[in-house]
Amino acid sequence: MALLSLVHVDKRFGGVNALTDVGFQVEQDEILGLIGPNGAGKTTLLNCISGVFPLDGGSIHFAGQRISGLPPHRIARLGIGRTFQVVKPFLSMTVRENAAVGALFGASNLQPRLAFQAAEEVLELVGMAAKSGHAVGSLTIPDRKRLEVARALATKPRLLLLDEVMAGLNAVEVEEALDMVRTVHRSGVTIVLIEHVMKVVVGLCQRVVVLNFGQPLAAGTPEEVLRDERVIEAYLGEKYAARVRRAGG
Amino acid sequence: MTLLVQQLVLGLLIGGVYVAVGIGFSLVWGVLNIVNLAHGGLVIIGAYLTWLLFSAFKIDPFLSIPIVAAALFGIGYVLQRLLINRVIRAPIFFTLLLTFGVNLVIINVLLLLFKSDFRSVTPSYSGSGLSLGGVQLPYIRVAGLAVALLLAGAVALFLARSRVGGAIQAVGADRDAAQLVGVNLRHVYALTFGIGAACAGVAGGLISTAQAITPSAGEPYTLQAFVVVILGGLGRVSATVVGGLLFGVVETLAQTMVPGLGAGWANAIAFAILVVVLAVRPRGLMGRPV
Repeated sequence: MALLSLVHVDKRFGGVNALTDVGFQVEQDEILGLIGPNGAGKTTLLNCISGVFPLDGGSIHFAGQRISGLPPHRIARLGIGRTFQVVKPFLSMTVRENAAVGALFGASNLQPRLAFQAAEEVLELVGMAAKSGHAVGSLTIPDRKRLEVARALATKPRLLLLDEVMAGLNAVEVEEALDMVRTVHRSGVTIVLIEHVMKVVVGLCQRVVVLNFGQPLAAGTPEEVLRDERVIEAYLGEKYAARVRRAGG
Repeated sequence: MTLLVQQLVLGLLIGGVYVAVGIGFSLVWGVLNIVNLAHGGLVIIGAYLTWLLFSAFKIDPFLSIPIVAAALFGIGYVLQRLLINRVIRAPIFFTLLLTFGVNLVIINVLLLLFKSDFRSVTPSYSGSGLSLGGVQLPYIRVAGLAVALLLAGAVALFLARSRVGGAIQAVGADRDAAQLVGVNLRHVYALTFGIGAACAGVAGGLISTAQAITPSAGEPYTLQAFVVVILGGLGRVSATVVGGLLFGVVETLAQTMVPGLGAGWANAIAFAILVVVLAVRPRGLMGRPV
């Protein structure tokens, strides 16, 4: 049975249909990529899964339980972790404290002393152990992104939603971040990630779902999807798609 | 010289009340981003409860502090959960307006219940004190400062060590992120406001021993809490302690040592401090950079 399934999900903002009839499943232990042009509804979809936005139609199920309609903290406690595209650290706290807050709540729900131990473990996993005493304000962007992942991991999620963890990183940093995501995945966490960097999508994801104008456009392995003419058209326009078609013969 | 020392000491002792008044106000402001205009009203509910327990059941005002704090926590929790939570995401103007209205309701309910008569809590030791080298230390003020510092320590420890304290700090730092690691926002909002109200109740108990109370006697304390928090800086209990004590000293010295200024100038002095701090150091003495 799928770990996460979305059934006919609709989300409107006023007259704008942000998501229309979105349905797909995420299997246990896979890394699923969610791609699509800007404004396609990727982040909106993550917000719907994590309960920040109520749905206007359809339903979302996690581990056999309907989660659409539950408040965000309940969904987090059921085992869905989440990072933000624009990182949201607790600025007034240290790195360790940030991760510990995740361990205090979420699915792990630990007492303070154990939460700090758990925090050290996840910081180790994402390669931030050496900086656990640092103030968040002194961290670089790549480190803040790692911390964002660490905090989400500290909640002990079965499913982790990563919203563009690679954006704004240089080539070396992307490689490091790729390693981090693989490590997290190996530790037994199913991952759904939004990504624009195609190298990341191809390098990490077993399966990709493409959104366009709030609707699923294509789904399959990264190689299949990136060859799909509709996908090229959505990203680069009709003319370019036609040129690719001619060149490809 | 003795006079200066006396006023300095008295200022510190009076500052204890300002610390107590400031802690809850600072917590609610820092975490919920609500400038709670009903804070003075909550303080006075605490004062009336203390008076009620004292006059009806002969309970010592300092012994009734836990009862009053618990009652105010309940009032604060319910107020936030049922009323203020509805506008918490709205611009700050709405929470200002709402808490202003809540304050009016509190004052008028107290007027209905207790009339506008002056009430005071006068245990046997009120009016007496210690004399140390010519400096008078009224028992009530000394105990008031001790209670305020204990309260500050308890709140700081609670925020730093407990699970709920962690949740409160996380919500204060980033409510969206806190929610998505599994913090129940509405519950934490209500707990925070409840704790703020409990602190206001403690402050009210201290105030009832030091001055006569009327339903509207709380209003100056909203202003003073505001000044204390601006002076010390938002977001830390220790900053409120420094702000409260300093405010007590400055106010007392200004009223007694500056010719021409007297007790009638209390509000003017508070506003002057407010304006100077905002102009010179808007984040306060110990606040985080804004």
